[in-house]
Amino acid sequence: MNLEYLRLILVGFFALCCAGNNPLWALPPADDAVVNGVVKLEGNVPSPNHVDMAGDPQCAKLHPTGAMAEDILTDSNGGLQNVIVFISAGLADRTFDPPKDAATIEQNGCMYQPHVIAIEVNQKLEVVNSDTTTHTVHVLPVNNPPWDKPQPPGPPIEVTFPQQEVAIPVKCDLHPWMRGYIAVFKHPYFAVTGRNGSFEIKNLPPGTYTIQAWHEKLGTATQEVTIQASESKSLEFVFKPK
Amino acid sequence: MRMKVILAMGGVACMLLFSTPDGRAQETHIGGLTGNAKRGESLYRRYCIFCHGSRGDGKGENAAYLDPKPRDLTAGTFICRSTPPGSLPLDSDLYDTISRGMNLSGMPSWKSLTRQQRADLVAYIKSFSPRFGNEKPAAALEIPREPPSSAQSVKRGAQLFQSMNCWSCHGKEGRGDGPAASSLTDSKGFPISPFDFTSGTRFKCGQSGRELYRDVMTGLDGTPMPSFKDAMKPDQVWDLVHYLETLAAGGAKVASEAETKPKNE
Amino acid sequence: MRIVTVKRIGIPLLVLGALLTYSQPSHAIPAFARKYGLPCSACHEAWPKLNNFGQVFRDNGYQLGNNRDAPIYQEPSYFPITIRVTPQWHRESNDRRAVDVVPGVPSGGLVESRVTTSGFDLSGVDLFAAGTLYKNISFAAQPFLSTNGTTLLQMFVRFDNLFGSPWLNVKFGKFELDTLTSEERLLTLNNTGGTYYTYHFRPRGDSNFFGGIGDNQLGIELMGHSANSYTRYAISVLSSNDGQTGLPSNQAYDVYADFTQGFEIPGLGLQRVGVYGYVGESPTFFQTRGGVPIAGTGRGNRSFYRAGAYGLWYIGRFDFSTFYLHGQDNVFLGNAVPADQPFNLPKGAAGPAWNGGFVEAHYTYNPRLVLIGRYELIRMSQQAKPSLRGDFGNLDTWTVGYRWYPFMSSRAGLAWVQEYSHLRSVGTAPLSGRDDNSNSFLMGFDFDF
Repeated sequence: MNLEYLRLILVGFFALCCAGNNPLWALPPADDAVVNGVVKLEGNVPSPNHVDMAGDPQCAKLHPTGAMAEDILTDSNGGLQNVIVFISAGLADRTFDPPKDAATIEQNGCMYQPHVIAIEVNQKLEVVNSDTTTHTVHVLPVNNPPWDKPQPPGPPIEVTFPQQEVAIPVKCDLHPWMRGYIAVFKHPYFAVTGRNGSFEIKNLPPGTYTIQAWHEKLGTATQEVTIQASESKSLEFVFKPK
Repeated sequence: MRMKVILAMGGVACMLLFSTPDGRAQETHIGGLTGNAKRGESLYRRYCIFCHGSRGDGKGENAAYLDPKPRDLTAGTFICRSTPPGSLPLDSDLYDTISRGMNLSGMPSWKSLTRQQRADLVAYIKSFSPRFGNEKPAAALEIPREPPSSAQSVKRGAQLFQSMNCWSCHGKEGRGDGPAASSLTDSKGFPISPFDFTSGTRFKCGQSGRELYRDVMTGLDGTPMPSFKDAMKPDQVWDLVHYLETLAAGGAKVASEAETKPKNE
Repeated sequence: MRIVTVKRIGIPLLVLGALLTYSQPSHAIPAFARKYGLPCSACHEAWPKLNNFGQVFRDNGYQLGNNRDAPIYQEPSYFPITIRVTPQWHRESNDRRAVDVVPGVPSGGLVESRVTTSGFDLSGVDLFAAGTLYKNISFAAQPFLSTNGTTLLQMFVRFDNLFGSPWLNVKFGKFELDTLTSEERLLTLNNTGGTYYTYHFRPRGDSNFFGGIGDNQLGIELMGHSANSYTRYAISVLSSNDGQTGLPSNQAYDVYADFTQGFEIPGLGLQRVGVYGYVGESPTFFQTRGGVPIAGTGRGNRSFYRAGAYGLWYIGRFDFSTFYLHGQDNVFLGNAVPADQPFNLPKGAAGPAWNGGFVEAHYTYNPRLVLIGRYELIRMSQQAKPSLRGDFGNLDTWTVGYRWYPFMSSRAGLAWVQEYSHLRSVGTAPLSGRDDNSNSFLMGFDFDF
């Protein structure tokens, strides 16, 4: 075999291998796709209900002008707050380690802040009591073990949830108007809409996904999206009042 | 001859059809008894189905007329346990609940069933919730020996009743008429009342001081009664139990004394 | 079907009267099911027969014991009343009845002939109200309406769990005697097999006022039971009126007592055994006016007793009731001779005595289908008159049947029943003194609201 022949073969081999589309030598795609957008409420916004805190004077004191229920919150453009937007299908069996940082939910002014929180499976959740009155933290899950703990003003309670669930209601038995939601996911691809209804889910691997939006009163909505590496796609979800 | 073959094949087919093992067949062990879920199923259909429903979801034919509502057995949440909050109950916890019944509810005492029948029922009930297939109950909470009651212990218990906010639900005299009592709801959203300690010592989950200690430590899952195992030490809980036991005999006077004293005494 | 001329049936008239009166025992109570939300099958093996849960409920004074039993916990419109009736088709046949030789001609003499009747019919109507008046005060009131008039079958108030103890319960009024195999909760309804003969038997010609332990009695009962009713006792003091109101007989009192013990056999179920005894007095003559007895002035009381043992056995889906009775009446009662005329006793007269018993088997396939079979016999061991043959009045009877309940709810009950019973009574044919056979076939709907 002469050397010329060998050189041709080697060049051809490298050309094929480094052609980018060759799976043997393709670099893994970057997890940098983004899905963002806004969730809106169409139609007439129902006027919010008053919350009566007369049961505990310490709570009533903190809201001299009264407090409102937080089940449906919108801004002037119809942006819907507290909607959880997440990937509900398309991630196959990928597993993810929970983040090391704890998430925090606070009982402040005898209301939960945030009203809706989303965390990952086995991620630490710190429940903080910033009030001067005792609360009970009572979670009512379906997939996770239920628990109910009293929390006087003092140290936070640290908990984790072992199963995915959208979403676990949390209430305080001493203050019946208090209601919050904890969503627990197996993956990190979720967001909770802010005041203007906007959300952003970053660092997505490319693929085809079903994105679901969940609201505590208005139900759920889903959309399919296919996204390439480094691409950014915008979605809009529209809810109608029931 | 062909007929015989067909019949034989039919017979084998029938045998296979009817001998398919019941996917829900479970066994359970309580004391020396072994309960069998298949036997428990026919007992359930005779005794339990009209309240707890044919699917065990608490939506039996008569559930609409009952208060409190029958338990949803598919949820895997049980009030009377000796295990920590959020954990499944032990088999013996379920057996005890069936035997004892639940005072002030429509759940009768089923002690008139034989012990074997009750063990069979426990085995069948466990088949309703997938939790029993996926998890094991945690170890029972240890109940330390009860220190002797004394006037000091009762007074400390009265102070704890105040400082732990028991009065918010149970009321200043333990009558179940606290400020939060009228708005309490159970895990299904139905109104529920806190226990009135002046009515006697037939608590939901037992009658003895030991059982009351256990209830305070484990909490009553499915109700607003929380678990105090992280909030109080065992000695404190015994003091509270000693105080609660005096309420039936008019011990509320001690409570009002405790209120006038400063909280951090 | 063969047609044979037969003679008049020889069953004592009083027993026949009892049959007609008790052709509709009724103790299955949907009102309880409505009150508590339990199905009929919770308390009844197959209604009206009680299982142990139902037995405990009954022993507790119709209370579940969860402090929710008093009427104030029910909706005010709840009314604790149950109506039970059985529209039916039935056929009765008596082998040897005395009939006129020529129909319509009374002077032509009598002959023994078979008499058969059949057709659609109604049982009487049971109105049963039972429940609690207050915590631990329960009651029952049961009038029975039929074409023969209204009978007050049960009327009592009961003070339950005195001093907080299930061992002390006092019942006052008219009630059935405490037995485990209750005739009031019999599973058969036909005219021949709808009763337990041992519960009512009196030899022919016996003047005993007492109609048997199956008759409801007037008096006061002290009863107690363990928490799961495995151990039970009852003692009653009763007026010797056989439960008839209006003080018809005398001022004497009878005593009844029974004791039961239950135990579990692993793998088989709950078993029970018990013993009982009834000791009483019955008058043999009355004060009269113009020859007519004055009610309540019974004189010349002579004694009698009934005693025996029973068992209730559960083997899986089968259950068996076994019952034994020994009865003995005083010689004056047995010969219907007033006690102040001993010279009227036939030579060699004796107090009649007999032994009887039955075995009843049920196969409860499920709470909605039960198969029934029973065999009962009575054997005289001592005749009252020496002129009577030794086996005169002996009875053999058997019954088969089934009850099928198309639905099971807590509001009402319905059963489709079919039953057949046959009875042979020795030497009691009215004219020939031969054996007397009769049979009944019943099918119908037994419903209960």
